[in-house]
Amino acid sequence: MTGRDRIVIMAIAVLAVLAGGWMLLVSPERKQAAQAQTQIETAREQLDTAQAQAASERSAETRYASAYVSVVKLGKAVPPEEEVPSLVYELEQASNQRSIDFNSISSSGAPSGSAGATSASASAASASAFTQMPFTFVFKGSFFGLAHLLGQINGFARITSTSGTGGQASTASDASTSTPTGVNVNGRLLTIQGVSLAIEGQGSNSKRQSGSELTATITASAYVLPASQGLTGGATPSGPAGTPSAASAASAAASGSPANPAVVEAKP
Amino acid sequence: MRAVNLIPSEQRSGGTVGGRSGGAVFLVLGLLGGLIVLAFLYGSSHHEVKSRRAEAATLSARAAQVQAQAAQLAPYASFMALREQRLHSITQLIGGRFDWSNVMGELSRVLPHDVSLSTMVGTIAGASEASSAKAATAAGSGTVSSATPPGAIPTVTLAGCASSQSVVAQMLVRLRLISGVSSVALQNSTKPGGGGGGSAAGSASSAASSASLGPCATDDPVFSVAVSFEPLPTAATPSIQALTSSSSPNATKGGKHTAAAVSTGGRVR
Repeated sequence: MTGRDRIVIMAIAVLAVLAGGWMLLVSPERKQAAQAQTQIETAREQLDTAQAQAASERSAETRYASAYVSVVKLGKAVPPEEEVPSLVYELEQASNQRSIDFNSISSSGAPSGSAGATSASASAASASAFTQMPFTFVFKGSFFGLAHLLGQINGFARITSTSGTGGQASTASDASTSTPTGVNVNGRLLTIQGVSLAIEGQGSNSKRQSGSELTATITASAYVLPASQGLTGGATPSGPAGTPSAASAASAAASGSPANPAVVEAKP
Repeated sequence: MRAVNLIPSEQRSGGTVGGRSGGAVFLVLGLLGGLIVLAFLYGSSHHEVKSRRAEAATLSARAAQVQAQAAQLAPYASFMALREQRLHSITQLIGGRFDWSNVMGELSRVLPHDVSLSTMVGTIAGASEASSAKAATAAGSGTVSSATPPGAIPTVTLAGCASSQSVVAQMLVRLRLISGVSSVALQNSTKPGGGGGGSAAGSASSAASSASLGPCATDDPVFSVAVSFEPLPTAATPSIQALTSSSSPNATKGGKHTAAAVSTGGRVR
């Protein structure tokens, strides 16, 4: 074995020792460091997500009061119960304003079907189906009076182009709403499915009678919130269901304490 | 005299770079250097692992804390979701309605002078069956099922009389001026005393019309017209915009007289 051979063998041995040290000691540590970095990134993402969620919910908390008012006002358009008396009252008021005789109201059948939308929110997913209440109304009056009455009935709940318009009507939308439109609620939401106009007392003797009126038979549907869900889903003015403030408010209400006065606007 | 090295060339070591060790010293030094580098890398990596793990633990703990805070406020977010969803549903229901008031107003503007209506029947075709069918699937579809569902076709059937058949023709043309009208179909136009078209259906229609002539004279043509509108839209805003748009200015002439005739049961000539 020459000296050169010995040097080569020793160099290989040194390199082998260094490579073994790298593979056995340094490389595993570097892998663990990389894994720790991944853990950091995961934890950072979780933190960012949690912070965003918390910020959203803090924002929801700050907007709760206006949202509660909105929900209560929307309950005027679609109440949790049938509320037929208030519907009759609203129709009577509207027909009186138009000099129309509100002749009759009859229920066309039991409340059935649903008119709702599902939501991505798990808590609200079961709360969206509205029950339809079909009615038949009979009014008597002039053509234009009836036309205006139909417009007024549509105006019980209508879409506004700008939110927060104020005025007499209560707008169930606030400036924080992402949608550009709001809902102006003045009464019960009705969907008119059919209108039948006929000259009252139509027949041979009614020809050219002065002052004769039209009889309008209107089929329409009102809507009711699902029975499983109240007006506000268990929320109180103090807080939504499931929060300590709501629980205390509920217990105070149960004990007869006047701590939480009603804020429901009872405008006909 | 010239010097000559008599040592064999392979045994000459004193003059090489490795010296007497034959280069082993460099290998030892390289080994030591490599070990030092390895030790440094190991130490730094170890330190990095510990610090990163600590940082990850800190971040996880902080995330858990924030998540706990968020969980406490979750009912507020749920309530906001309930509010948005309810507002969305009601907005869709409102947007899916048909504006009967506007149709009546435009009808009063476009009807010619010499036309009197005895009845007007407006229906939304397919409203009941479509709404019930949609109600069955509303829970999973994500759409609002209205009593007047999107796609339903509003139809208004007008019955009355006109002074002549040409006025009926004029009325058919002018009814198309109502915004949103898709078709105007004449069902019949018969002079009650004229014997009709000879068919059984025409005779029955004529007899029925004669029984309910109302303001019409006996020799005036009695007509029945079906006016169909565009299907109800899915979006809220377009329907409102479409139905509140004003009609043609030249269609307003004399409209109020016609409506007054309807309202009083008489006819303006």
